[in-house]
Amino acid sequence: MAESFQNGGLRLYLARARNRWLRFRLRGRDLDPRALANLGALDNLRLDEPARTHRFVVLDLETTGLDPNKDRVVSVGAFRVVGGRVRLGEVFSELCNPGRDIPVESIKVHAIVPDMIHQARPAWEVFLDFLGFLGHDILVAHYAPFDVYFMNRVMKGQFGFPLQNLVLDTVELCRTLLLKPDPYGVYLDFKKCGLDALAELFAVEVPERHTALGDALATALIFQRFMQKLESQGRGSLREMIKLGGMAA
Amino acid sequence: MGDFPLPRIKDFIRRVTPFDTLGEDELSAVVARMEIAYFPRGEVIIRAGGPPATDLAIIQSGSVKVTLPEMDGGEILVDIRGEGETFGAVSLLQGSQALFEVTAREDVIAFLLPAAKFRELVDRNPAFKRHFSFSLARNLQAVQRNPATWFATGHQGESLGLDAQLARSLVGELMTTQVLTCTPDTPVREAARQMTRRRVGSVVVCGAEGRALGILTDTDLRARVLAGGADPEAPVGEVMSRPVRTIHPKAFAFEAMLEMIRHRVHHLAVGEGGRLLGVISDHDLRVVTGAAPVGLVRDLDKIHSPDELELVHQRLDPVLEMLLRLGGSAQYMLDLASEFNDRLTTKILELTELEMESQGLGRAPATYAWLALGSAGRREQALRTCQMNGLVYDDLPPERREAGARWFLTLGARAVERLALAGFPLCAEGQLASQPAWCQDRSGWARALEDLIAERGVCVMPQAGPLFDFRAVGGSDGFAAFLRQRVTKVLETNRQFLARLARLLPYSRAPLGFLRDYVVDKSGEYQARLDLKQSGLTPLVHGVRVLALEQGLAATSTLERLEALARRGVVSDTFAGDLREAFSFITLMRIARHLEARAAGLEPDAQVVPASLSPVQRKMLKDSFAIINELQDLLARRHQDQQVA
Repeated sequence: MAESFQNGGLRLYLARARNRWLRFRLRGRDLDPRALANLGALDNLRLDEPARTHRFVVLDLETTGLDPNKDRVVSVGAFRVVGGRVRLGEVFSELCNPGRDIPVESIKVHAIVPDMIHQARPAWEVFLDFLGFLGHDILVAHYAPFDVYFMNRVMKGQFGFPLQNLVLDTVELCRTLLLKPDPYGVYLDFKKCGLDALAELFAVEVPERHTALGDALATALIFQRFMQKLESQGRGSLREMIKLGGMAA
Repeated sequence: MGDFPLPRIKDFIRRVTPFDTLGEDELSAVVARMEIAYFPRGEVIIRAGGPPATDLAIIQSGSVKVTLPEMDGGEILVDIRGEGETFGAVSLLQGSQALFEVTAREDVIAFLLPAAKFRELVDRNPAFKRHFSFSLARNLQAVQRNPATWFATGHQGESLGLDAQLARSLVGELMTTQVLTCTPDTPVREAARQMTRRRVGSVVVCGAEGRALGILTDTDLRARVLAGGADPEAPVGEVMSRPVRTIHPKAFAFEAMLEMIRHRVHHLAVGEGGRLLGVISDHDLRVVTGAAPVGLVRDLDKIHSPDELELVHQRLDPVLEMLLRLGGSAQYMLDLASEFNDRLTTKILELTELEMESQGLGRAPATYAWLALGSAGRREQALRTCQMNGLVYDDLPPERREAGARWFLTLGARAVERLALAGFPLCAEGQLASQPAWCQDRSGWARALEDLIAERGVCVMPQAGPLFDFRAVGGSDGFAAFLRQRVTKVLETNRQFLARLARLLPYSRAPLGFLRDYVVDKSGEYQARLDLKQSGLTPLVHGVRVLALEQGLAATSTLERLEALARRGVVSDTFAGDLREAFSFITLMRIARHLEARAAGLEPDAQVVPASLSPVQRKMLKDSFAIINELQDLLARRHQDQQVA
């Protein structure tokens, strides 16, 4: 991709520059503690250390549909990956009340029916809790722009700035690691990077597919494979991982 | 926390032994402490000699091999673990450097339980303690392709004080390091004085370079000097036991125990690289176990009246079973059991002879030998299966023939009855020394075997096989050698018989197509259960027997026959090796099933339900059956050619 930086260091450098500018802009303001915490998300990343030594949070959202402009989040699921291992005890899983009807089509996919979300909190509250769970960890998602879009809507609405965490995209990792180079961005074999296709490729058994948590686990297990693959090629540093899997801007 | 949000992960863990014993809340708490790790194929997950494992791993998918590296760079395959099985427990519980190497055979996804939580479970939960101290024991035998997984559940009712302690202790920890040594030219009296002063039961006799040549023990002093009449001034070298059995300090206590039983010794030298480090005696083991290992055999020697034989069944069988459970290779187990059975038989004959003499029936009118037939003849009777035997004695002059036959028939009948009392049931249609046809003089036996081969007389074809596995128990082997010679000679002139014997095989052809949860017999029937004896051992043993008869081999045990056949080039080394593994695997599995049934208070049988096996076990069983079918094909080809010719 034309706008993707060839250097993971440059990418992080720019993100940090934006972050510094943002902090400068917000200096002296009385910020929500959660917002303040998020501003430090990039402080402790060590580019030349192995990616494995960093902490990651793997996120998946279930929504009422695939159009970010009109669809809403109905559930949030996430796992933490530390030392390259998925921690089963550090789980974020909550349904959200989308404040509108759930289309029948999406019910067919994630099996969340209106009754279940009646008691649920609105998505923005859930997201703010998730922000606490995320902390300064690197966010990983399958097709991350989609998930980040929803998060940023809340972030901007609540705090006035977007999510500061570094974001990795398993679809990007798939494209750069598994597919043939595609300089024109045609992506004829884009399907090969679907969650189901990757799960099958890596023989990852997805326990509860099409629940936010089940898909988050599948993504985490796939992410684990990519991490191992990079290590086996001698490219295990965070720098390499950002270069190959940083979310497309 | 409440319920774990991914029920299927919990369901998976719930099915893993011993996690199946945890309550709902506890299981959730355990799962919440777990992590999922991925190990690519070929990755060494735990390195032998490296730091102990930091987690207990439960395999979700893929498989690992557990190996023991050898000095020369090779490795011994200890076990293969697949889905739902665990690894890492040994080094975790021992906390010392890892003994075994664990390598991913395929891509492995595993659930990891951190050491602290695992230790807590083992400390608090008896099922965990039992399971893992047991798997510890079975791990510690570096046995090729050890399918000891079978023993995982057969450990209830362990009341013999021989437990995890024994399994966990190393010889090096129990041995006496203050070893008394002397040179072979030291006078016996001097050595005995030293032993008394140091209050030890043995002195190791060392050569000039410090190598252990032999050992002089209390028993030797008693048997050879006091009772045997050796000169107390004679050099120790003439009286000592030789060679001294040596065991490695890193060996496990129960291995020392098996070694002692096997060679019927009370002391083992502990050494490494030719250097003597200490001595371990059955007394040292008793400290751990509360029971002396050699006692098993000694208890047998202590029996003085036929009435006590029933005790054998009640008291010694559990000990024997426990030893089988601690186990080792199939060969080891079979040896152990046959050694015990042979001694039992000898003892029974001895007692019966004495009894007959005291009842005025007189002594044996001629030399004789007890012939073990069938599995006993092959030294493969690890379990109390039904007896099959005969009695052969020297030809008598015509005038004494009838009285002699009567005497031996009485001996045969009483011995058979007592064997039954000691736990060997009578077969429905077996050959027994209590029947005139199988209690004969040399010429009678020779005639009977010739009749058998010519297919006339009492014994019909299908039962003929096990008869050829005869072996003399106790006393001289001259009778067996004589009969073996005759059989070989007659068979040379009658190849038709072997061809027909070989053709008995297809009746018991092994089922091959068992997949997933059911067995498809080759005849097309669906079977939910698989008979390890009928479908596995019988055809294998029979096939090897036919080849051995054809070659006129003296060996009767299947493994020895295979070795001899490979040496003669009748079968390739690889094929013999495969057959050997198949035989060992099915034998171990059968013993395990048997013990399991006994522990559960059920009537033992040789049946397994394929659905209850782990994928790795099923795969190995399937491989074994494929090998057996290959053997049958080989025989069929061999004898088809012969018939055409």
